[in-house]
Amino acid sequence: MTVDRSSRLLKLWVPLGVSLFFALFPFYWMAVTSLKSNQELYSRKVMPLIVHQPTLKHYVDLITETNFLEWTWNTFLVAITSTAISLLFGAMLAYPLARIRFAGAALVSFAIAATYLVPQPLLFVPLADIINKLGLGDTLTSVILTYPTLLVPFCAWLLMGYFRTVPAELEDAARIDGAGRLQTLIKIVLPLCGPGFISAGIFAFTLAQNEFLYALIFLTKTEVRTVPVGAVAELVRGDVFYWGQLMAAALLGSIPVAIIYSFFVEHYVAGLTAGSVKG
Amino acid sequence: MARIVRAQSRRDVLKTGAVAGLGTLLGPVAGQAAPKSLTMMHESSFIPPYDAYFKNDLARAYEKATGIKVNYEVVSVGSLLTRVTTAAENSTGPDLTAIGFNWAYLFDDKFVDVTDIAAEIGKESGGWYETAQEAVVVNGKWKAIPFGNIGQLMNWRTDWFKQAGYEKFPETWDELLEAGIKLKKAGHPFGFELGHGFGDNHGWLYPLLWSYGAREVEADGKTIAIDSDETARAVDYCRRLYKETMLEDCLGWTDVNNNKAFLSEQISCTNNAESILWAAKKDFPDMAKVIDQSENPKGPKGRFHMLNPLCHSIFTHTEDKKAAKDFLRWLMAPKQCGAWLDIAVSYYQPFLHAYDDAPFWKVEPRNLPYRDALKTSHLPGWPAPLSRAQSESVAKYVVVDMFAKACSGKSTKEVIADAKAQLTQIYKAA
Amino acid sequence: MTAPSLAPALVHRRPAFSFGRWLERGGVFSWLMVLPPIAFLAALVGYPFFYGIWLSLQNRPVAKAGVFVGLDNYIAAWHDPVFWQVVVNTFLYTAIATLLKMVGGLGLALVMNQDFRFKNLTRALLLLPFIVPTVLSTIAWQWILDPAFSVINWTLVASGLASSPGPSWLGNPYLAMASLIVVNTWRGLPFYAITLLAGLQTISPELYEAATIDGASTWQRFRYVTLPLLMPVIFIVTMFSVIFTFADFQLIYVLTHGGPANATHVFATYAFDIAMGGGQLGQGAAIALTMVPPLALIILAMAIYMRAPKT
Repeated sequence: MTVDRSSRLLKLWVPLGVSLFFALFPFYWMAVTSLKSNQELYSRKVMPLIVHQPTLKHYVDLITETNFLEWTWNTFLVAITSTAISLLFGAMLAYPLARIRFAGAALVSFAIAATYLVPQPLLFVPLADIINKLGLGDTLTSVILTYPTLLVPFCAWLLMGYFRTVPAELEDAARIDGAGRLQTLIKIVLPLCGPGFISAGIFAFTLAQNEFLYALIFLTKTEVRTVPVGAVAELVRGDVFYWGQLMAAALLGSIPVAIIYSFFVEHYVAGLTAGSVKG
Repeated sequence: MARIVRAQSRRDVLKTGAVAGLGTLLGPVAGQAAPKSLTMMHESSFIPPYDAYFKNDLARAYEKATGIKVNYEVVSVGSLLTRVTTAAENSTGPDLTAIGFNWAYLFDDKFVDVTDIAAEIGKESGGWYETAQEAVVVNGKWKAIPFGNIGQLMNWRTDWFKQAGYEKFPETWDELLEAGIKLKKAGHPFGFELGHGFGDNHGWLYPLLWSYGAREVEADGKTIAIDSDETARAVDYCRRLYKETMLEDCLGWTDVNNNKAFLSEQISCTNNAESILWAAKKDFPDMAKVIDQSENPKGPKGRFHMLNPLCHSIFTHTEDKKAAKDFLRWLMAPKQCGAWLDIAVSYYQPFLHAYDDAPFWKVEPRNLPYRDALKTSHLPGWPAPLSRAQSESVAKYVVVDMFAKACSGKSTKEVIADAKAQLTQIYKAA
Repeated sequence: MTAPSLAPALVHRRPAFSFGRWLERGGVFSWLMVLPPIAFLAALVGYPFFYGIWLSLQNRPVAKAGVFVGLDNYIAAWHDPVFWQVVVNTFLYTAIATLLKMVGGLGLALVMNQDFRFKNLTRALLLLPFIVPTVLSTIAWQWILDPAFSVINWTLVASGLASSPGPSWLGNPYLAMASLIVVNTWRGLPFYAITLLAGLQTISPELYEAATIDGASTWQRFRYVTLPLLMPVIFIVTMFSVIFTFADFQLIYVLTHGGPANATHVFATYAFDIAMGGGQLGQGAAIALTMVPPLALIILAMAIYMRAPKT
C-alpha cells in the first residue's frame, strides 16, 4: 500500500505539481499585477508576491476606457471562424493523403509543407497588397481569410497522423459493405478521430486568437481590432506601459477560453474511452 | 517588376470590375465626390488626453466648420513605421499620418509636397527652427510639417545628487561619471539604456558620440568616419560609465525599463523623454518633487541632443490632396496647434518660434531644457544628409551595439572595426 | 454502386460512364478533395512567396521602385557578421527549446494519462500559457525577468548565492538567450503535452492489456507499445514545433528585440528590422528567405515520411 502511494506520488503528484507551478506562476504574477495600484507595483519595499491593497481599478479602466469588450468579441469571432475553415480544409487535405494512393500525392504533400517555408515577416507585405486590392482592409474578413494560411497545414498534418491510427480494416469493411469514400470518411473515420480534431481545433483557435502581425497590418480601426493588437496599441504608449490594464487584459483574454477548453476536452475524451475503439 | 505590374493590373481590372459592379448595386462609393472624411494616423501618445483632444475637440470642430469628418487612427509607437510602410507600399490607407525620424525622406515619393503650407505656417508662427528642417526637407521640398520634438534629456533625482554633493546637474560627461561613481556607492546607480529599444538608447548614445567630435559618416554622406580617435574616446568613456555607475541589466534594456527602474527608485539618473516626470506627478507625487530634467552633458566638442521629430505628412494616394492640405493647414494654425500642444504640456516641443514663450512652458518649468535642447538636436546619421543608409544604420543598431559590446567586454578597437564594416556595407549599397 | 445490368443497356444505350463511379476513383476523389484548400493556399501563400523571392533579388527601398540586382542581397548577408550571429542564435534557440518541449511534453503527457481527480481542470490550466495572447504574456515575463522584482533573484541574493541585484536575465547575453528559451518552452510545452496526450488516448487499452499479459514491464510497455504508436504524432508535433520556433518573432521582439547587442536576434526579428526599420524590403526578404533551405530540409524529410500511406 505504501509503495503504491509513494509511487503514485512520484509518478503523478510531484511531476504534476511542478508542471502546474511552472505553467501557472506567471499567471499568478499577472493576477497580482492587475490588482495592484501603480504605487504598490513600483515599490520595491513591499513583498512583491502579495497584494497589499488590491484594487479593481485596472479592470474597470480596461473595460470602460478601452474597446476591450469589442476586441474580445472580434477575437472570438475570428478565431472560431478561421478554426472552422482550417479544420475543414485540413481534413480535406489529410484524408486523401493519409489513405489513398493517388497520382500527385507527393506534390500535394510538398505544397502543403512548402507553405510553412514562408515566414510571416516576409508574407505580410504582399498579403497586405492582396487584402487591400480585395477591399478587405479593416474588416474581420481579412484576418479570417489569412489566418487559415497559418493553420491549415498544421491541421492537415495533425489530422493525417490521426487518420492513420484508424485501422484500415474498419474502412475496408465499410467499403465492402457498399459505403462510398465520402461516407466512409464521415461515418467511420471522423468519429474515431475526435481527439485529433480537438487538438487541431485547440491549436488553430489558440493561434488565431493570439496572432499579432496580420492583425496589426489589416485591422487598423479600434472597433475591428483583436485583443492583442488593441491592447498593445492603446495600453503601450511609447515607453509608458499600462501594466495593470495589460495584465488584466491578459487574464480576461485567456481564462474564459481555458474554461471552455476544459469542457471540450472532457467531452471528447470521455466519449472515446467509452469504448468506441474496442471491437 | 513589369511582370508583377502587369499581373497586378490584370487582377485590378477584375477586382475593380467586381467592386464597381457591387458598388452600383449598393450605392455611391465614398470618395467619388468631395471627400466626406479624412483619416489621420497617429502614434498613440503616452498622454491619453492628447489623443482624446483630437478625437473629441479638433475633429469635431473641423467637421462643424467644413462638413468633413476626420477619423483618428491610433497605432502603438513601435508599430507606426510598419503601418506607414504598408500604407505607402499599397497606396491605400489613411490620408494623413504622423511620422518620425527621417521617414519624410524614406517615403518621399509617397508624400505630398507641402512646401507652400509650410511657408505659410512658418510665417504665421514666428518661423521654423532650422533643426526641424533637417528632417522634413527633401530635395528642396517640404514633405512633412514638423509638429513637435520628443526630446530625450537627462532625468535625475535632485535629492540623491544633492546628498552626493551636486546641487546642479553635472556640466560635462566626466563630471557625470564622477557623480555616478559616488551615487552608485551610495546605492543609487545610474541606468541608461543600451539595448535594442527605439528611443532612450539613441537619445544619449548619438549625442555622446557627437560631443566627442565623432560621427558615423562625414557631411558628404559618403566617407565613413567612425574609425577615429574621437570615437575611441567616446567608447572608452561609455565603458567606464557603464561599469562604474550602472546596473548590469542596462545592456538589455528596451525603452520601458528605465521608466520602471526610475519610478521604482532603483536608479538616480537616466536619459528619457518627459514621460518619467509625467508619470511621477500622476502616481508618485512625492518623488515628482525631487525629479529634475537637464540637458545632456558637454563633451570635448560640445553639447548635443537627439532630434526626434513628430511630423505630419499627406499620402499621395489621398483622394483629395487639397482637402488634406487644407486640414493640415488648419491644424497647424495657432488656435488648433497651440491648444493641442497645450494639452500635451510640452511633451512635444514645438518647432515654431512663436511657441518659445508659450504659457505651457510655465506650467512645468522643468520641461524648459527640452526647449533649449532644440537648437543642438540632430538626427542619427548627422552630419551626413538624409539617406536610407541612415535608416538602415539605426535599424541595425550599429552605433548602439558598438557601445553596448564595448560595455560588455569587447575591446574598443574591435567594436569600432565592427561598426566600420557594417557602415561600409550599408553606405556602399546606398 | 452496382454495375449497370446489361438488359437496360440493350434497351436505353445507357452511357458506360457513371459519374458516381468516377467520383469514387482514388485519384479523382483525392484531387477533388484537395483542390479547394490547395487553391486557397496557392493564392494566399504561393503568390506572396514568389513575390517575396522576386523582392529578394532586388534592391528595393520602401516606397520606391526596385532595381534588379540578382543575388547581391544574399551576398551582402553572407558577409554580414550580424547575419551569422543570427544564424547561430536561431539554431541554438530552436534546438534547445524544441528538445525541452519534446521531452517535457512527452513526460507531462504520460503523467496526465493517468486517472486522477480534476483531470480536466488540470488539463485546461496547463494550457493557459499557450492560450494567453503571446504579446501579453511576454510583457508579463518582462517584469518577472527584471532583477529588481524577480523572485529568483530575491532568493539567490537572500541565500547569499549571488550579490545584489542578482543575475541580469535579459542584460547578460547568455542569460538573455536562456531566458528566451525558457519563455518559449513555457509557452509551447503545454500544447505539446496535450497533443501527445490525445495521441496516447487513441492507443487502444487492449494493446496494453495484451502486453501486460505477456509480462511486459512499465518501461517495456512504453518502449514497445506506446512509443511506436505515438511516433507519428510525436514526429509531426516536433517538426511543427521546430518550424514555428525557427520563425518565432513576437516573443523575442517584445522581450529583447534582438538585444543585448544582437545576442538574441533571430531570422524573423532581423529580417523585420531591416525591412520595416531600415526600409530595405529586398534585403529583408533575402534574410527571411535564407530561412528556407534549413526549413526545407526538415520539411522534405516530413514529406517523404508522409507520402506513402501506411497501413
